[in-house]
Amino acid sequence: MRVFVCLGNVPDTTTKVKFTENNSVFDNTGVQWVINPWDELALTRAMELKEDSGSSVEKVTVITVGTKSAEPTIRKALAIGADDAIRINAEPTDAYDVAAKLAGVLKNEDIGFVMCGIESCDYNGSAVGGMLSEFLNLPSVSSVSGIEVKGEKVSVSRTIDGGKEIISIDTPFVAIVQKGISIEPRIPAMRGIMMARKKPLNVVEVPDTEVLTSHKSFELPQPKPPCKIVNPENVKELFDLLQNEAKVL
Amino acid sequence: MFTSIIFILILSGATIIFYRKVRKIRRSINLGKDIEITDNKPLRWRRVLFIAIGQKKMLQRPVAALMHIFVYVGFIIVNMEMFEILIDGISGSHRLFSFYGKAYGIMLSIFEIITLTVMLGCMVFLVRRNLIKVNRFWSKEMTKWPRSDANIILITELLLMSAILIMNATDGILQTRPDAHYTQVGSFIISGIIQPIFSGLPSSSLIIIERFCWWFHIVGVLVFLNYIPYSKHFHVFLSFPNVYYSKLRPAGEMVNMPSITKEVKFMLEENYSDQDDDNEVVTFGAKTVRDLTWKHLMDAYSCTECGRCTSSCPANITGKKLSPRKIVMDTRDNLEEVADKLFNKKSSGKDDKKNTRSLFDFISAEELWACTTCNACTYECPVNIDPLAIILEMRRYLVLEESAAPGPLNNTFSNIENNGAPWQFSQEDRMEWAKEFMEKQKIDVPVMADLFAKNEKPEYLFWVGSSGAFDDRYKNVVKAFVKILTHLGVSYAVLGTEESSTGDVARRAGNEMLFQMQAMMNIELLNGYEVKKILTCDPHAFNTFKNEYPQYDGNYQVIHHTQFLKDQIEAGNLKVKSLIFNKKIITYHDPCYLGRANGEYDAPRRVLNFIPSEKKEMKRNKSNALCCGAGGGQMFKEAEKGDKEIFIERTEEALETGADIIVTACPYCMAMITDGIKYKDKVEDVKNYDIAEIVSLSLEI
Repeated sequence: MRVFVCLGNVPDTTTKVKFTENNSVFDNTGVQWVINPWDELALTRAMELKEDSGSSVEKVTVITVGTKSAEPTIRKALAIGADDAIRINAEPTDAYDVAAKLAGVLKNEDIGFVMCGIESCDYNGSAVGGMLSEFLNLPSVSSVSGIEVKGEKVSVSRTIDGGKEIISIDTPFVAIVQKGISIEPRIPAMRGIMMARKKPLNVVEVPDTEVLTSHKSFELPQPKPPCKIVNPENVKELFDLLQNEAKVL
Repeated sequence: MFTSIIFILILSGATIIFYRKVRKIRRSINLGKDIEITDNKPLRWRRVLFIAIGQKKMLQRPVAALMHIFVYVGFIIVNMEMFEILIDGISGSHRLFSFYGKAYGIMLSIFEIITLTVMLGCMVFLVRRNLIKVNRFWSKEMTKWPRSDANIILITELLLMSAILIMNATDGILQTRPDAHYTQVGSFIISGIIQPIFSGLPSSSLIIIERFCWWFHIVGVLVFLNYIPYSKHFHVFLSFPNVYYSKLRPAGEMVNMPSITKEVKFMLEENYSDQDDDNEVVTFGAKTVRDLTWKHLMDAYSCTECGRCTSSCPANITGKKLSPRKIVMDTRDNLEEVADKLFNKKSSGKDDKKNTRSLFDFISAEELWACTTCNACTYECPVNIDPLAIILEMRRYLVLEESAAPGPLNNTFSNIENNGAPWQFSQEDRMEWAKEFMEKQKIDVPVMADLFAKNEKPEYLFWVGSSGAFDDRYKNVVKAFVKILTHLGVSYAVLGTEESSTGDVARRAGNEMLFQMQAMMNIELLNGYEVKKILTCDPHAFNTFKNEYPQYDGNYQVIHHTQFLKDQIEAGNLKVKSLIFNKKIITYHDPCYLGRANGEYDAPRRVLNFIPSEKKEMKRNKSNALCCGAGGGQMFKEAEKGDKEIFIERTEEALETGADIIVTACPYCMAMITDGIKYKDKVEDVKNYDIAEIVSLSLEI
């Protein structure tokens, strides 16, 4: 079976977030782009399943909506081990747009299952996975923190309050994955980096979707006030500060 | 006549067997990757003269050095006597050279004295190994075979030397017996003394003893000759070529990997195309002995297991699994095994199924990751073996081929790749340290891009480094140095938000790909600004710029801040006014990458000598200094399992001097010593300053 992993191309977490055009557009100058951490974990799990001789996962394809500037991120996914990649050539605008475009390509593919990170670390919309399954008219499971494939049988697990829920599910379906799906993201090895150059990266065009949202403006969080250091002897001072200034006691 | 034939048969047999074994070792060494070592022959010969022949590096441990000189000189000089013995044996003559008369007697007496010193040396060595049990001869890798090997060699040498003396003693008596017809050469100085033991024996017994000793000695020597290539004792031959071919470049420089350069260029240069055969399969780093170079393999055969490397290794001293000697011994054992299978065609049937083992079947990842790359082992080795190179090649394999770095190092790699620092700090925050500083102190920190826009070219680039930009304690060091630069009116600039990790950590942790990406990006930037001179407080950056960036056409004059301060003080540009350290005891900790890696022990001490205060050296200082424990990627990972953390061991040593101030000249050392002082609960009594801070405080600026 073929597994599709949806990749988000997001700014590195240390990026200094800035906006232009009256705080309505994210300023991407000098930004280092990385694979969305949830998607990276999903890809790592997909690779583990492919390498597991007991599973029927044979091929892992990464798919992303992005312009040519997203290609280094896609190459990294190929270096980690994905067999091929599809880049839908468009600037992603919002969750609806991305889900529609992904579905536009995926509907013609023979899907084992699709893995989507539960959210992306840029806009944190947490909506693509659900919308994608609707567009594809496929069942979906959200907050998946484990996937097992035994032959053709797939079971997913979800962490629930105080325990774990295990669901067996027929393919194809969409898995919206949470942290825990794999422990640490896989680091590409040299061999992977070299092979990534030669792996197919197919660029496809999909018709534009209707733009349903627009950003009015963004607001940056207030800078953190300076830290106050209280001498360990002055318990009273600490108490005063917590009670009267921070008003938390 | 008959004895001559037997002698010639034994001699030629022994020679053929020896030749065949040596040829096999030669073939084994050549299993390594080919590298060309043909540069700077005069310096190489000079090293052979001083280090191999002159045994310069032995002198660090005087007792062992003296005893070793006895045995070594004995080995060479007594073997000169072998010449006569061989001719006697072949021609059936007796003491052929005795026609030299008196000179012969004097010569042999000298030989006898040397024979005696050899025996003394061997006995002292036996006592050190078996009775005193010097630690380095009893560590874990010194299992039964290496221990017996050493004893077999020493006892054999003792027996051979005794045979010479007994032979000469009985010969001397026989000369006085007219019935024996022995050539008259007189008795010799040492054997003369033991003659009374044998004087009561009849001539026939004496002749048997004399002849027995003669044969025992020569056959013994030939057997010993053939034992040597199977033993650690092979160093008597290989130490000479091994020293000749040893590394001439600064110890801190790691070798380039051109196969990675190709990959980095693919990534960084859009139009880069590969000219060479692309299908060539290379292993990145070393998994098997065949991935090492022939020089590494020659190292393995040259090792005599003296353990000086291990006894100076900070990881080993603090109870970690790593032992540089074991790395070298394992490489040799693995090579012997691989070579046996490869050369021995008879065993191809069954053994082919069993794959030959790799270096990783002998050496564990835990050992490799315990190394701080401090170069103590390479510095200590009397025959210039480089265990560190093998460790680093194996780390490269783990990271580049297997992505198997310890978790925290993987995070460090990601951080360097994504935000240009080993920690998760934004590159855009790289000037934060200066902002607050510029406001409060009214000191301007010029940024390269600004100056360049104004068409100004500063004389120096000051490389702040990731610690300088982000480590709260170390920021003060950078500020102190900037104050001094401003005070001097030096023309300099920093890269500010354009600065990124030098890649030192990545390279030493095995991630050559990341290192080269950083190096090439930095070089492009530096060359774009036409940088000629780089100033830095960080010995790691210093080493990387100075020794490693030239591998990618980044050629700069690199100056460590201790060198810069020394020059400025000696030129009279900095006048130390204050007496704040007058009553204080200062001890200086040598950073490995300034000291052993680049040979700079002097500049920091000369700077400190200008500061009125009392200086005390730690027990291990300069080239023997103990690492702080942070180099080679250790700063960014958990220490491997051991009895103690290295930084604690080093801090304790510093505290033993009674110092009020421990001075460092490296951001890692500062972090480690600061932690050490906290750990020892000495924060109130002992301060840790960088040299720049000492100078700036003394200048009262």
